[in-house]
Amino acid sequence: MFEVMMYDGGIYRSEELFEMIEDVGGAVLQKNRSSQMLSVTMAVPEGDRKAIEALCKDIGGEVKSVPLAGTEIAVVGPTLGRHHMPHPICDIAENLRRRGSITVVMGLARGRGKKTAQINLEERKIIGEYDAAVFMLGNFKNCVEAKTELFREIDTPLVLVCGPVPEGIDDAYDAIVSGVGRKMERMRTTPERAKLDEIADAVEKILLEKRRILEEDPLFVHPAEVKQLLEDYEPVNMCLRPGPIVMHLDGLRVKIGYEEHRRHVEDMKVYGRRLGDICAISPSKINDSSMLIRIKTRSEVEHDDRKAGR
Amino acid sequence: MEVNVISEDEYGNESYSELFSKIMADINKQSHIERATLVLKPTVPLFIFSVKLRAEPSSKTVGDVANVRGEGSDAHLTITDERYAPSILEQLWKKFGREAVDQQTRFDLDVIGASESDVKALLVASDEESINDMIGAIWRTMPEGIKNRRTFIDGRVITVVATEEMMEPHMLEEGMRVHEAEGA
Repeated sequence: MFEVMMYDGGIYRSEELFEMIEDVGGAVLQKNRSSQMLSVTMAVPEGDRKAIEALCKDIGGEVKSVPLAGTEIAVVGPTLGRHHMPHPICDIAENLRRRGSITVVMGLARGRGKKTAQINLEERKIIGEYDAAVFMLGNFKNCVEAKTELFREIDTPLVLVCGPVPEGIDDAYDAIVSGVGRKMERMRTTPERAKLDEIADAVEKILLEKRRILEEDPLFVHPAEVKQLLEDYEPVNMCLRPGPIVMHLDGLRVKIGYEEHRRHVEDMKVYGRRLGDICAISPSKINDSSMLIRIKTRSEVEHDDRKAGR
Repeated sequence: MEVNVISEDEYGNESYSELFSKIMADINKQSHIERATLVLKPTVPLFIFSVKLRAEPSSKTVGDVANVRGEGSDAHLTITDERYAPSILEQLWKKFGREAVDQQTRFDLDVIGASESDVKALLVASDEESINDMIGAIWRTMPEGIKNRRTFIDGRVITVVATEEMMEPHMLEEGMRVHEAEGA
C-alpha cells in the first residue's frame, strides 16, 4: 500500500530524494519550488517510509503529514462576485491546500439571490467529479435553508459552510461548519483560523469515511501506480498546464484531450492488464481537454472478467 | 459611524453590522457617514439601507481641499485632504500638463506658470459623483442577488430599498418611513 507524505525543506541534495522515490517505486504527486525552498508531496510504499524519512532528515528537510494529499476538492460559492470572493472561499481553499489537497474554486452561474438561485445539471456533474465539495453560503438562516436545492443532489461528499445553523436540511450535506458567513477580509484571527481548521477537519473526516468504504472493496491498482504509467506518455509529459495529472481517491484527472488520447491511454498496460479494462475512462464535464480515469475495484474487474469469459 | 441594524435574523444582525462597517472603511466612506440604519428582512426578501451623511454632498474645488498660494508666476499647493490627492494631480496634469506640475513631497506641489485663482477653481469632485460613490458603496454591502433597487436622496440622507423580484408598494412605503426617520 502507498503512503502519502510531504518533504518540506531546501533544494540542496533534493536530487537524492527524487532518486530514492524512484528506486522504491514511489511517485511524486506534486512539486513546488520557491527560490531555494522545495516542497514535494509523494506517494511511497508503506515499507519504505522510514528510509525516506531518514533521507529527508539527512538532507536538512522535514517530513510533514498531509492527510488530504491525493485528493481534489472543489470549494463552491454561489457566484464568483466580490460578495463571495476572495474571502472566505479562497481562505478555505488555501487551508485545504496546506493539508495536501489540490483545490478548485468555483462559482455557480446563477447562484445568487434567494428565490432565483439555481444550479444546472452540468454544474452538478462538474462538482460531482471531485473527491469532495465544500459549499459556502451566507449569513441568513432563511436564505441558507432556501438554497438547499443548490447542493442537495450533488454526487460527492459535501461540507456545508455557513453563518447560522440551518434547520431541517440535515439530509442535504455530510458535514456542516457554522459560524463562517460573508467576510470582507482575510480570516487571520485565532478564532477564524480555528474555524478554517474545523472545516479542513470536517473534509478530512468525510474523506476518511470514503477511503474506508473504498478499502472494503479495494481498487485494482493504486492511483499512484497509474500516475507513474501516465507520466511516461509524451503528451502528458509535455503538457504545460499546472498539475497535468491530479490524483483522486478512486482515480485520476489527466489534463489531455479525451477524444485524441483515449485509445492510447486505454491500451496502456498495468500488471499485464489494459487500462481500458480496469478503469472507466470518460471525458471531464468541464471541457474536452481533460479526461477522468476511475479505477475499478477488484470485484468490478472480476465481474467484468467473468462476463467476458476471461 | 453609528450602525443600527433592525433584523429578524439573530446571526445576520450581528454579522451585518460588522460587515457594513468593514466595507465602508475598506472603500474609504466610513468618515462620510454619521449614522446608518439597516433593515434586514431576508424572508421577504427586503433590505433597506439608509445612511445619514456628515455633510451634504457638494462639489469640491482644489481651493476646498488644498492651501494654494501664488509664488511669482507659479502656484504652490499643500494638499490638506489626502482623499482628493489623486484627483488633484489628475486635474492639474490635464489642465497644465505633466511638465508643469512638480510634486516635491506627498502633499506639496508646484505648478509652473499657473495663477493661484486658476488652480483654486479646478473641480476635483462633483456632488453627483459623491452621491454615486455612496450609492455604489451601499450596493456593495447588500446581498448580491437583491437586484431590484430604488433610491431616495434628500439632503444628507440616502436610502436604498432593495428586493429580489417585484418591488411592491408596501416595500417602498417602508423604505420611505426609514428614510424620513433618518431626518430626510
